[in-house]
Amino acid sequence: MKTAFLIAGAFANVLLVLLLAPWFEGILRKLTAQLQSRQGPPLRQPFFDLLKLLGKEDLETGEMPAVQRAATYLGLAAVLTTACLIPLGFGSPLNGAGDVILLIYLLTFCSVCTLMAGLASGSTFSMLGSSREVMCLVTLEPILAVAILIGAVHRGSFRLDTVLDGSVYASAAFPWSGLVILVVVVLSMQAFLQRLPFDIPAAETEIMDGALMEYSGPKLALLKFSQMAKLVLYSGLFVHLFVPWGAHLAFPLGWLLFWLKVLGVVLVVTVIAATHARYRIDQAIRYFAGLLLVALVALVLASYGY
Amino acid sequence: MIPSTPEYAVALAMLICTAGAAVTLATARHRALAGWIAFGVLALSGLLALLGAASVLLTEPSHAETLFTARRLGFSLRLYVDGLSAVFLILIATVSILAALYSIEYMQHRLEHGVGRYYPNLLLFVAAMYGLVSTTDMMYFFFIFWQMMTLTGYALIRYEPRKPENLRAANRYLWMMQLACGVTMLGAALIAHDSVVTPGGETLLRFDFDAVSHHLPQLLIDQPARVTLAFALFLVGFGIKLGVWPFGRIWLPDAHPAAPSPISALLSGVMIKTGIYGLMRYFIWLVPGSVQAEFPLMKWGLVLAALGTVTLFTGTAQALRQEQSKRLLAYSSIGQAGYLVLALGVCLTLLSSTQPLMPALAATALLGALFHTLNHGVFKSLLFLNAGSVLHATGTQDLNKLGGMLRYMPVTGGTALVASCAIAGVPLFSGFASKWTIYTAAIQGHAAAPILALCAAIAILTSTLTLALFIKFFGAIFLSRTSVLVHDLSRRPQPLEVGWKMRLPQVILLALCLFAGLFPGLMLQFLSRVLQTSRQGLAVTLADAVPASVWTGPSLQSPGHPAVYVPLIVALVFVLMCFFARWLASLGGATRRISAPWLCGYAVEGELNRYRAGHLFDDLKNCLGRKRPPAPVPLTERSAPGQPSNPIPPWSPEKN
Repeated sequence: MKTAFLIAGAFANVLLVLLLAPWFEGILRKLTAQLQSRQGPPLRQPFFDLLKLLGKEDLETGEMPAVQRAATYLGLAAVLTTACLIPLGFGSPLNGAGDVILLIYLLTFCSVCTLMAGLASGSTFSMLGSSREVMCLVTLEPILAVAILIGAVHRGSFRLDTVLDGSVYASAAFPWSGLVILVVVVLSMQAFLQRLPFDIPAAETEIMDGALMEYSGPKLALLKFSQMAKLVLYSGLFVHLFVPWGAHLAFPLGWLLFWLKVLGVVLVVTVIAATHARYRIDQAIRYFAGLLLVALVALVLASYGY
Repeated sequence: MIPSTPEYAVALAMLICTAGAAVTLATARHRALAGWIAFGVLALSGLLALLGAASVLLTEPSHAETLFTARRLGFSLRLYVDGLSAVFLILIATVSILAALYSIEYMQHRLEHGVGRYYPNLLLFVAAMYGLVSTTDMMYFFFIFWQMMTLTGYALIRYEPRKPENLRAANRYLWMMQLACGVTMLGAALIAHDSVVTPGGETLLRFDFDAVSHHLPQLLIDQPARVTLAFALFLVGFGIKLGVWPFGRIWLPDAHPAAPSPISALLSGVMIKTGIYGLMRYFIWLVPGSVQAEFPLMKWGLVLAALGTVTLFTGTAQALRQEQSKRLLAYSSIGQAGYLVLALGVCLTLLSSTQPLMPALAATALLGALFHTLNHGVFKSLLFLNAGSVLHATGTQDLNKLGGMLRYMPVTGGTALVASCAIAGVPLFSGFASKWTIYTAAIQGHAAAPILALCAAIAILTSTLTLALFIKFFGAIFLSRTSVLVHDLSRRPQPLEVGWKMRLPQVILLALCLFAGLFPGLMLQFLSRVLQTSRQGLAVTLADAVPASVWTGPSLQSPGHPAVYVPLIVALVFVLMCFFARWLASLGGATRRISAPWLCGYAVEGELNRYRAGHLFDDLKNCLGRKRPPAPVPLTERSAPGQPSNPIPPWSPEKN
């Protein structure tokens, strides 16, 4: 009975991500257009885009198309597996099979698959994009890892349901570490979602979508889909870690509140993205490295109980 | 002589290796024959060692055996195979058998150098390592085995002496090892006191491990400074061997690339592990449990944890700059050694705490260190063999000149991919499981020493650097675009992929790597036998604290159950999602077509606009250290005037 419940939960999570991710992307595009005095596409446009791509001719430019295919499948699979770890309105289905350390590494692995796709296609631009993506990954992913670790330190546990529940504020004394890491994560949120001003690895106007440059057809659909899903997952993670209030309300209320908060995060991200210009990669890396140092200070504060 | 006890089995293994060395020296004229003999000898001795180790770990602890005593000279050869030795014996045996099989074909084509300097040294080198991890003599036989290992290692590193950098590397290795040897022996001399008579009536000489351990409590009360100095010397000596900061970069990154690749695999996968063996043996097994309160465990633990953290970060960060495949792997070995030292430090720190659960966490950290030792031994050997195969096929280690090899070397490339995933800590692979164990112990241990959480965070941060490193290694060699060099080589009639004698060891190591990744619970259960079968010193406390119930079947849990990792379930979900993604991609019925990459429409693909490995992560390298302009393409690689600027013809579609 319990197993059936967990399987149902996993299905629910995957379905939610699959259905809601393009819709959030649609909101993001519409709002960006409105802010820039354009009309913007209808909200369901990303669905149509994905459907169109699924049927389009698939150009394979790599020396080993099999690697390109594998990288795209693995990319989506990693994102959807991550979706089973994060509670999305219901409990986390894989709570008994993994913990926050697995979550940290799986989130990194999602980006690695995109990188492999870029390296396998091997054009100069996709290599450049992959190189940039790795540099961002190396300086960014640890920030989220530290945020999660601060929660784990406060709660003395690595369980998904315990940590992804506002745990950063759960210190014995006044939660200084939680506030510091909140500021740090807010300042790096655009980069986690690869939106302006930190969409450096993709940077359509410079290096033509970087790692994804050589992709078309169903592979591009899957890669785009993983990106959209990441928007939902990272926003959800942010909500769980930093805006937990009201998570334990009765079913429809708590569920609705969670998705409203995710929508709020997406809206804020969109507004910032629509009004900023892109940073250069060296500026961005120095910025992230600075934030990472502050995050480590927050971790030290947390381990001393603040 | 029938090896009735593990000790006799190990002694016999050493004898067989030594005899085999003479035979291979005599038959060195026939390359293949000498190679097969060396393989046979190492397989036989390896099986003996494995049998010995298995009988210790699976049945019951054995007793130390004194093989001979020279009382007047004050030394005796006393061997003792306990659980800790057994783990290292298993590692040495496994990797040496596979490296020997790999050597047969690898050495076949190095015609300019005879194998008379190769196989005998290889066999003695392995024999010395068997001895070093099972002798109880802290002075004379430690010296003999250490020197045997160092001198044969020296001969193997300078196997191709015509390159001056190889000679330099070998000399540096030799002097650093002599320094380590002297320092360690000085440490032993400082704390050795007098001989001791066991309850069984056996006289243990002054420098015997158990005699030193017996006198340590009194010495610790009388002269604590002397004991501290001795342990500091042990730390320096074994730290040099292990490549700990600041000693690692002096010898390790030069020595590993200079040696022939199977030897690099042995050096990095196995030999430097004798350093962590020594640290564990002296810091945990030497100190009697009765003086746990007097021995400054907390301080040593924090020193080791800090050293480990610095080592893992600096080693990996320096590796990012490397553009030679084996040099990159050597630096990353320093980084991975840092994880081992960190785990040992966590173990010592938590052992000193009186809070509940802390001894269990200390045991977990130690088992994590042992698990990572085995894992690193497997995947780093595999990576060196991969780099060796590429070197064998193309004649270069330069990442800038390589590219697109996966098409031509699928087995080498596939195994390299798995090994890269394992070392980078991708979930479901072995490196993730052992790092997971270390992280959970360190972070849960923050209650006893808050700084451990910071160490763990830096370790996690470094593991993304490792990921970047192996994206560079794998991407530059096997993915990316075919370079001129690879393109020219691929035109030759014979295939680039290496023969079965070189492929098989890689595939076996791959299987070990996958097994450890998917069944980490079984591995930890097996390793927890180590503590049960070597109850001595502080290890008794650890053995009593081993959380017996938490590693059942396939799952990993930390003591107190706050963390859980079940790779099989995650793998199942992941595979299902992969099938779903594949199904989704096939929904639209899209057709596939092969085409050339787009270079803005006006450039043709060529060597000069290929993205070279040296340019990967430029800004990150600048951020981590001083700025250095990217190296320009050497003139020799540019085309001569009058010739077309693109040596590679435009990419032609080819069915793969």
